[in-house]
Amino acid sequence: MSQREGNLEDDAQADTPISLLPHLEAKIRQTHSLAHLLSKYAEQLLEEYVQHQGDPFGLPGFSPPRLPVAGLSAPAAGHTGLSLPERLRLDAAALEALPALLDVVRRRQAELNPRAPRLLRCLEDAALQARALGAALDTVLAALGAAAPGPRPPPPAAAAAANSAAGVFSAKVLGLHVCSLYGEWVSRTEGDLGQLVPGGPA
Amino acid sequence: MDVSLCWRPPAWTVGEKRMRTAPTLRRLLSALTLLHVMVQVNSQKRGALRDLKCTTNNLQVWDCAWKAPLGAGHGTVNEVCIDDRLHSCYPLEKGNVKIPALPPGDHEVIVNYLHGFNGSSAKFILNEQNVSLIPNTPEILTLSADFSTSTLYLTWDDRSCAFAHHSKVTWEIKVLRTPRMELINLVTFNTTLNGRDTVHYWRWTSDLPLQCATHYVGIRCYLDHLHFAGPKEWSAWSPLMNISWAPESEAKAFPQDKVVLVGSNITFCCVSQTKVLSGQIGKTFYPLIHLYGQNVAIHIQNISVSENSGTNVVFMIEDNVCGTVVFAGYPPDVPQKLNCETHDLKDIICNWNPGRPTGLVGPRNTNYTLLDSFSGKSVTFKRFETLTNESYQLLFQMPPHQEIYNLTLTARNPLGQSESAILVNITERVCPHTPTSLKVKDINSTVVTLSWHLPGNFARINLVCQIEIWKPNSKQELQNITIKGVENSSYLVVVDKLNPYTTYTFRIRCSTEPFWKWSKWSSGKRHLTTEAIPSKGPDTWREWSSDGRNLIIYWKPLPISEANGKILSYNVSCSSHEEVQSMSEILDPQHRAELQLVKDDYIISVVAKNSAGPSPPSRIASMEIPNDDLTVEQAVGLGKKIRLSWPPDPNVTCDYVIKWCNSSRSEPCLMDWKKVPSNSTEAVIESDQFRPGVRYNFFLYGCRSQGYQLLRSIIGYIEELAPIVAPNFTVEDTSADSILVRWEDIPVEELRGFLRGYLFYFQKGERDTPKMRSLETGHSDIKVKNITDTSQKTLRIADLQGKTSYRLVLRAYTDGGLGPEKSMFVVTKENSVGLIIAILIPVAVAVIVGVVTSTLCYRKREWIKETFYPDIPNPENCKALQFQKSVCEGSNALKTLEMNPCTPNDVEVLETRSIIPKIEDTEIISPVAERPEEISEAEPENHVVVSYCPPIIEEEIANPAADDAGGTSQVVYIDVQSMCQPQARPEDEQDIDPIVGAGYKPQMRLPINSAVEETAAENDADSTAGYRPQANVNTWNLVSPDSPRSTDSNSEIVSFGSPCSVNSRQFLIPPKDDDSPKSNGGAWSFTNFFQNKPND
Repeated sequence: MSQREGNLEDDAQADTPISLLPHLEAKIRQTHSLAHLLSKYAEQLLEEYVQHQGDPFGLPGFSPPRLPVAGLSAPAAGHTGLSLPERLRLDAAALEALPALLDVVRRRQAELNPRAPRLLRCLEDAALQARALGAALDTVLAALGAAAPGPRPPPPAAAAAANSAAGVFSAKVLGLHVCSLYGEWVSRTEGDLGQLVPGGPA
Repeated sequence: MDVSLCWRPPAWTVGEKRMRTAPTLRRLLSALTLLHVMVQVNSQKRGALRDLKCTTNNLQVWDCAWKAPLGAGHGTVNEVCIDDRLHSCYPLEKGNVKIPALPPGDHEVIVNYLHGFNGSSAKFILNEQNVSLIPNTPEILTLSADFSTSTLYLTWDDRSCAFAHHSKVTWEIKVLRTPRMELINLVTFNTTLNGRDTVHYWRWTSDLPLQCATHYVGIRCYLDHLHFAGPKEWSAWSPLMNISWAPESEAKAFPQDKVVLVGSNITFCCVSQTKVLSGQIGKTFYPLIHLYGQNVAIHIQNISVSENSGTNVVFMIEDNVCGTVVFAGYPPDVPQKLNCETHDLKDIICNWNPGRPTGLVGPRNTNYTLLDSFSGKSVTFKRFETLTNESYQLLFQMPPHQEIYNLTLTARNPLGQSESAILVNITERVCPHTPTSLKVKDINSTVVTLSWHLPGNFARINLVCQIEIWKPNSKQELQNITIKGVENSSYLVVVDKLNPYTTYTFRIRCSTEPFWKWSKWSSGKRHLTTEAIPSKGPDTWREWSSDGRNLIIYWKPLPISEANGKILSYNVSCSSHEEVQSMSEILDPQHRAELQLVKDDYIISVVAKNSAGPSPPSRIASMEIPNDDLTVEQAVGLGKKIRLSWPPDPNVTCDYVIKWCNSSRSEPCLMDWKKVPSNSTEAVIESDQFRPGVRYNFFLYGCRSQGYQLLRSIIGYIEELAPIVAPNFTVEDTSADSILVRWEDIPVEELRGFLRGYLFYFQKGERDTPKMRSLETGHSDIKVKNITDTSQKTLRIADLQGKTSYRLVLRAYTDGGLGPEKSMFVVTKENSVGLIIAILIPVAVAVIVGVVTSTLCYRKREWIKETFYPDIPNPENCKALQFQKSVCEGSNALKTLEMNPCTPNDVEVLETRSIIPKIEDTEIISPVAERPEEISEAEPENHVVVSYCPPIIEEEIANPAADDAGGTSQVVYIDVQSMCQPQARPEDEQDIDPIVGAGYKPQMRLPINSAVEETAAENDADSTAGYRPQANVNTWNLVSPDSPRSTDSNSEIVSFGSPCSVNSRQFLIPPKDDDSPKSNGGAWSFTNFFQNKPND
């Protein structure tokens, strides 16, 4: 904990979360609230997604292995061990990669489930919301002076397109992973931002 | 198994050929056997050749081979010669020889041996029938696979079977599968050789995905040459070629994303490097079929329709999952209800119903293609989403100048296709668009033009349009018109026979000839036609003013159908024979004019004017012809109408006019009028102004040449109602037995109908009586008089009781019902004659009785004296009464009467407990002596001696303890003066038994005090009336002074015992002191004395 706070002081040039500028504090609160809201939406999205994929998706014993998704990795186990700015940078990178993947998933689902407008709308909204949360997080990082030094690699659109050419089953599994990753990264972002919110968890 | 058309095998198969050719083969085998036997015989004879066999693969060269005879080595044969015309010989190098095909028939073949056998030779007979036709082994050109569809593609050529002439070739292809190289398919098909080197194709779809196992393919052929007489055999199998899948590092399931027909059987496999644990389809697990290595498969039969996203097939591996999705659905149904029409002759719109859902969506959804075979044009319909029972639509652009179309709609999806066709003449299938831009333009007041826009090119056909014309308060009118279609979509028609100054609403719809469908109605267009001059003059009437000097002209506003515009003003003029007097214009809202005329013989003319001009004049004569024979009649309407009738009058030449007004209005009164033809004898008057319960006056006028004459005057109601007020009535006179009532008329406005009579109720009753009986209950004490003479205004009610309160009620009624009631209380006067009679008769009787008694007593005074008061001799002078004192003292019975002066102050009660009464008060000596006989008859132990008491009585209260002495009789003497005041209340008096009360009783009420008396006299007048007992009889016989009843504070009755009754003389002649009851008590009167009933 102390190490993270020390890093924050060093990297974000802030003494404590309480001493943040009011407008930055408001922005952090706003971004945190958005992340909190999106984490709820992500749960609904995952539930809606599974519901339309057919059995055994959604059955209790069915848990396909987490195949790597091009351009996006799951939050590492050692994520909490990283410094807060580093974690936020990883969060921002994941949120930047997620919209393209969600778009790929939506397009495949539009073919598979053209009569599931709610699912399609959720996927479309999720892509927009991930993009919005990523932008808000970038703003916070920039305000904290913790933005990534160089430009991030472009979103894995090509890789996602390649994934989209795979079989339907793979596409379903990919969509499941993407939806799960979306929820995980949004939740992780919420947790990481929570440490910046005054009065939040230390 | 699919084979391309050029490869399509004949209907019969090789197997069948085998069956058909079996006899031939048997014959061939028999011939070969025979040949072999002959060769053996010859060889054995002459060093015969062994295992001679001749074959051909091209029918051109025979290849014969044999084994050398026993003992002959290689190289011993020199040549082979054939004994034919050329006697050709062929050097023999090895154990076989190739010789050109020989003609049919037997040919002798000589084999010359150069060494051994001593230059001998061997011979044998060779025939074509001894030569076998064995084609060359075919070669596979290519073997390829489409793994996505699990299809093998095989190509080869018939080069090995190339003959110059046509022959039928049967090909046999076998498919083997690892790991056991089991034969999984063996197919044959036939081709015909055409002399050219031809490449043949064959494809086959595996039920097991090709990725799941290595597949091998081989081929051979059989040449069926009709003109070859020898035996025919299959060629050798070609070398096997295989198709295998290069497994990836990751496990993968096959087939991927396959679309299958619902109900089909399908096998899925998983190609994996690691062990597969389970396989499931959806949530159902299936047994694993091990293929080779770690590859496994599952097989599902009769698969059901998939959901939109497909049916998931999942293989669980130790550390992974592999899966695929299968889409089970149906091929497209035949498009149903295909209908094609056009709206504008530019585009054809075809609608259809897709029929049974395919269960396939997205990229697997059904594509529709609409093709016109005449023009060759087609359009395609494709979309991902399919809604159930949705009607599909395709737009087909029409080629110019084409009317007839042969349209074929083809539905395709991965599982198949279907089609539906329709042949239409599109000019007969026109459903025009909705007309737009409808406009109306005036031509004159009754003719307008309608123009509208109808999109489309209808130049080649006629349009039938329907115009709906609607005006307020009228039924809509439809006009059908036929117009020739135009190219520019603008149309114009004329609509006539309209009414001037009328608001019309037009709308239009169109169809074509021949009729197919109407278009939708256009939106309505309102239009007001222009004005025209009024068609008629206004309906006029005139009334003379009450003073007869002025004539008031009335006219009705013209109805809109006759006004033909907005009436601006009216011109009123009057004319006589000498002059024409013109009046100024009267503007429209006013519909009356008052003329001051010097004569009463004018013709009044009224003209209505609108912006288009004046109307024809309406004329009416001003003269009113008098009618002396006029009666007033009554009429009642029915519903909201009233019917008036009259006898025909030949003198009426113009018309009849019925005018009416509210009777309550002052004259001249006019609500409305109605004109009926002169030949009419009745009229039904109806007006919205008529109200029920309102009296109207109707006047029937007949029009004659000189003027109008009032023929009838009728008062009437549309509907009669009950009066809303009661008649005011007063009591004019009251006597002891009658009341005279007078009432007033009810005003007409409040009568609300023709008065049919009055109902007069009367009953006894007081004003303050809390609740009077209802009049409708019909009680017998309520008397009713129905007065049907409506002119009667008074009523005398007789036979009433004097000095009695009566309640009088009066109600009026009409045919509409009874009106409200008005009531009044009246008290009749007292009957004074009876009172006088009641006083005089007793007095007279008393006087007469007194006089007679006095006279008789006077005349018989001596007798009376002697009888009742004889002279009493002086006892002192009686010797006989001078008894010895001793003798007298010894017997009570002989006690002599002592005439002591009586001092009647006290009453002594003596108890006769002993023979000798105990005298407690020695000062009193009872003057009463009872005879011994009476004593013996009386109870011996209860002997009471009562002394005579004057009115002054001293009360002695008995000892209460004495009450308990049942066997003791006691008499209580009470002050008579106080006891005998009857203070019973009227209700108590009612309870007196008249039998018990026999004997004289006081005849007056005895008040307790004066105040109570006065109050009781006022309030209880009735209760005090009549005879009543004067005391509580019960107290006489039963009640002792100390009994509870005697002490009842509410009952002021003072009871006295029977002993007192013998002393009650004082009631006969009451004393004149103040405490005695007075006969003229407030509640008691002589009038009551004569009443029979208490209430009467």
